[in-house]
Amino acid sequence: MFQDYQTDGFFDEMFPKEGGPAFPHYRQVEEVIGGFTREKFLEKRAQTESAFLEQGVTFTVYGENNQGTERIFPFDLIPRVIPADEWQVIEDGLTQRIIALNLFLNDIYHDAKIIKDGVIPEDVVKTAAHYSPLMEGFEVPRDIYMHICGSDLIRDDQGKYLVLEDNGRCPSGASYVLENREAMKRAFPKLYQSLGVRPVANYPSLLRKTLEHLSPRQTGVPVAVLLTPGIYNSAYFEHSFLARAMGIEIVEGRDLIASDGYVYMRTTSGLVQVDVIYRRIDDDFIDPLAFRKDSLLGVPGIMDAYLKGNVVLANAVGTGVADDKVTYAYVPDMIKYYLDQDPILENVPTYLAWREKDRQHILGNLKELVVKSANESGGYGMLMGPTSSKKEREEFAAKIKANPRDFVAQPVVSLSRHPTVCGEGIEGRHVDLRPYVLYGEDIEIIPGGLTRVALNKGSLVVNSSQGGGSKDTWVL
Amino acid sequence: MLSRVADSLYWLGRYVERAENLARMVEVSRQEALESFNRRKQSDVWRAVIYATLVGDELKEEQEKALEADPAYYIALSPLNPTSIAACIASARENARAVRDQLSEEMWLELNAIHLFLSSEKAHDRYRNNPESLFRQIIRFSIIFQGLSQSTIRHDEGWQFSRLGRYVERADKTSRMLDTLTFSEDAPSSAELLAVLRSCSAFTAYRAQYRNDVSLRNVAAFLFFSPDFPRSIRFSFSRIDTALLKISGTRPGDFSNEAERLAGRALARVNFTPIDQLLENGLHEEIDAVQEQLNEIGQSIFEQYVLLPSEIRRAIRTEGLQSGRLQQQQQQKTK
Amino acid sequence: MELKVYHRTEYRYSAPAKDSVNEVKLTPRDSKSQKCSSSIVSVIPAARPKPYLDLYGNRSHHIELPESHDRFVVEARIRIHTAPGLRVEDYPYGVEMSGLKVLSGREDCHPFLQSSPYIDVNPGIWREAVDMMSESSDVFQTCYAIMEHIFKEYDYKPGATAVTTHANEVIKRKVGVCQDFAHAMVALCRSLNIPARYVSGYFFDSTRDHRLRGSEATHAWVEVFVEGYGWIGLDPTNNKVVDDTYIVLAVGRDYTDVSPVSGSYFGGGTSTLIVHVAVRRVDVPLAVL
Repeated sequence: MFQDYQTDGFFDEMFPKEGGPAFPHYRQVEEVIGGFTREKFLEKRAQTESAFLEQGVTFTVYGENNQGTERIFPFDLIPRVIPADEWQVIEDGLTQRIIALNLFLNDIYHDAKIIKDGVIPEDVVKTAAHYSPLMEGFEVPRDIYMHICGSDLIRDDQGKYLVLEDNGRCPSGASYVLENREAMKRAFPKLYQSLGVRPVANYPSLLRKTLEHLSPRQTGVPVAVLLTPGIYNSAYFEHSFLARAMGIEIVEGRDLIASDGYVYMRTTSGLVQVDVIYRRIDDDFIDPLAFRKDSLLGVPGIMDAYLKGNVVLANAVGTGVADDKVTYAYVPDMIKYYLDQDPILENVPTYLAWREKDRQHILGNLKELVVKSANESGGYGMLMGPTSSKKEREEFAAKIKANPRDFVAQPVVSLSRHPTVCGEGIEGRHVDLRPYVLYGEDIEIIPGGLTRVALNKGSLVVNSSQGGGSKDTWVL
Repeated sequence: MLSRVADSLYWLGRYVERAENLARMVEVSRQEALESFNRRKQSDVWRAVIYATLVGDELKEEQEKALEADPAYYIALSPLNPTSIAACIASARENARAVRDQLSEEMWLELNAIHLFLSSEKAHDRYRNNPESLFRQIIRFSIIFQGLSQSTIRHDEGWQFSRLGRYVERADKTSRMLDTLTFSEDAPSSAELLAVLRSCSAFTAYRAQYRNDVSLRNVAAFLFFSPDFPRSIRFSFSRIDTALLKISGTRPGDFSNEAERLAGRALARVNFTPIDQLLENGLHEEIDAVQEQLNEIGQSIFEQYVLLPSEIRRAIRTEGLQSGRLQQQQQQKTK
Repeated sequence: MELKVYHRTEYRYSAPAKDSVNEVKLTPRDSKSQKCSSSIVSVIPAARPKPYLDLYGNRSHHIELPESHDRFVVEARIRIHTAPGLRVEDYPYGVEMSGLKVLSGREDCHPFLQSSPYIDVNPGIWREAVDMMSESSDVFQTCYAIMEHIFKEYDYKPGATAVTTHANEVIKRKVGVCQDFAHAMVALCRSLNIPARYVSGYFFDSTRDHRLRGSEATHAWVEVFVEGYGWIGLDPTNNKVVDDTYIVLAVGRDYTDVSPVSGSYFGGGTSTLIVHVAVRRVDVPLAVL
């Protein structure tokens, strides 16, 4: 299967640039998967895909007539393998990062010393779309703001891991990590076993522990729930999967009622007080009394209960300011400022359009840069310089001039590639990695995470909404 | 369990059962209308089933026309009909989607498949070419779905709620079918009696008990009081009673809330009323009473398990009731 | 063994405190028995902890909070590899008590032979120690006997003593917790001219029924100097020679030198202290077959 594989001069996860056999940690994968005939392998793939469909590991695409069709998230059977020493660096780096981000949130919603000391300009923080004045002075339970964080990592052409962005609001995708793993265990049981891959199956129980740790009532078993926008949300599968795996209720806004500063869920045996809410609804929609009045998804009065300390929201409100793409540029400074340490994982160099000098550089080099909108996620609102048209560049230039705060630019980092089954054979496709960090009493990082693949040839965009697929990630 | 989940499972049970009953009724009426020697007019044949399926609102002109043109199509598939069989299945699926983690994969796949089929062009083609097979397919779906529910998920509280929905719906539909025999001043013909039995899938079971002695008295007695025919009113009430007691953990013969009290009383009434007494009171009046009881039971289930306790309910009322799913309430009698 | 530690110290003040100056010792030192792979000290309200090495080589941080504040939280997160402990047959027996005299001239031993704030080397304690050493003239055997004696004869009783209880009182009352037992043992060893230092740190209770003492808080034990081997840890609270379940944070003459968080501030009214320690074993990855 791998005879004709070419790295094309890119940094490849599995094979050295200069050719020859796979890296040592990939040897067994090369042997086993390389030993398949193409037909046999495609057959295996068909089996896996039909298993996904049967088990409903799908996301829903709505077309006309509101007829939901269920699609599977494209999955590639060649696993991404990460050796233990590399993983340790990632773990240490992400731990350091999430601690710094939490201290940053704590700081800006209290004394804002980092602003007073001139490390981060006040404008950057206060104009961030997700800065929440309601949170000023509020002491969050256990001092934790970001309980669940999914940071996106990429590797540059030397193989160095870089942080591309932090998702500190409601990162999604963890359910696919678990489902991908089940699929791989079924497809390659012997290979999986012989490599000694670290298990990920305890993610739901760790998540539940993380949530229960926050409970304001420390007697009995805390009541934790998962709050979903509802069945029409494209991530509903994940919500129901995680709720089931954690053994907690999945609720919609209308199942909850806030009264006198407490939150209850409506059950057949009456109102039950809720302690912790793992919410998969953005800040703006969570409480029509406090935020968007037109939100039907939220619970009126939930913020009041939260600020009174009677219920906990995970993640906290206002964490979006830390995953803003302008704030991102300052994370290395935060690590230095709060922890007196050097960042273990570096950022991708970032130009901020609101800085005069950077803006000139961006406008002068649009063709070489990736321009991102500061508050969008999921690959929306992006300009890929090298593949853009003149018209697109002109549009972006105008937008940048009009709203410099909203744009950042980065040089194109040519993401590492990974052998991926494409059509008839195996070709290199660009990948990133989203590990999931849980910040409770312990900081836990599930070994692995979601390796996302840009399935279109040459594409660097790995988002599922834009032609991305995924792979299982094996940490040794 | 969450009130919303209980509510969705209850309505899932009702909608699936309703779709099945409608399919039976339409198919029987369609067959009957084909019999040209039948002394009843086509429109009379359909009147019964239309009565049993439509909500109280006045039909708009275009709906009236569509119903006139092809009653079976209107009831089964017409996009103009908000309470068609296809609409019932779509509502069932919506309720199922909201509580998908409570269902087995097989149940979901069956429901999703029939929904996708009924909302596609294929279903309309099938109606034109082979209507009988369309209705059979809908009935078969319901039976498979209930079988899967019986054997692939836990018989827990949620399961009891969907059972509750199914039997409330079934008692309602059986009583409505029976009621169609009281429309005319004249005694019903044996063709009409047979059509009602077939609509309730009761023909074979009835014959086993009464041979070929088809009379209004016997048909009413069978559909009202049969203790072991699963579509009789008595059978349905007994299952409603059991499901309610299981949900609250109350022992048989006792009650712990209004819904249970009403269900127990309704069951006692069908258990201990002789047929002659029933006919003396008037069949139509007795059926009215059954309908009334079902409405009360449905309402008190809603109040007991879905609505909030009264003190909070009051607070909410002032703001208007925002929460709670807008369900299609069972149609009121329009006679 | 790979271990993870989470240690949270929180002070809440009834009135605003300010000009708080603190010293924390929450970062493990590297040695032949342990190697720290990551260690993070964080502070709320935001303050940058400035690292320095203290007199005894402990990795310390200096934290200043000049502004008014009503709470002060210090969190330490540690990830560390510990080396397997000594096997019984490798215990450093065979060093004679008679050779101890020369040690007081050594710079690394001298401070650990003297009296210090909580430790008083006096004839009364010397007599107690001599009773415990029985017939032996072996340094390690003597230390072991003292440890065993404390473990067996002293009453482990949380709340019976205070953070400021002196070794003399512990030896007299024979009651206390790990800090007191360690102070007592240090005093007894020093009275026999065995260099002994006070150690603060953590330990992971790997026993199935969690019967060991002190794993839910910072722990304290003793290190004695044995010529030719070096410093060896003994835990009088659990009667154990220190092994890979122990993590050394800091060493010193007594508690004064190694207190995890110490400092001073103005104002503050009454203060409440909440401490939480969790030591966890990092799951061993399955071996590659």
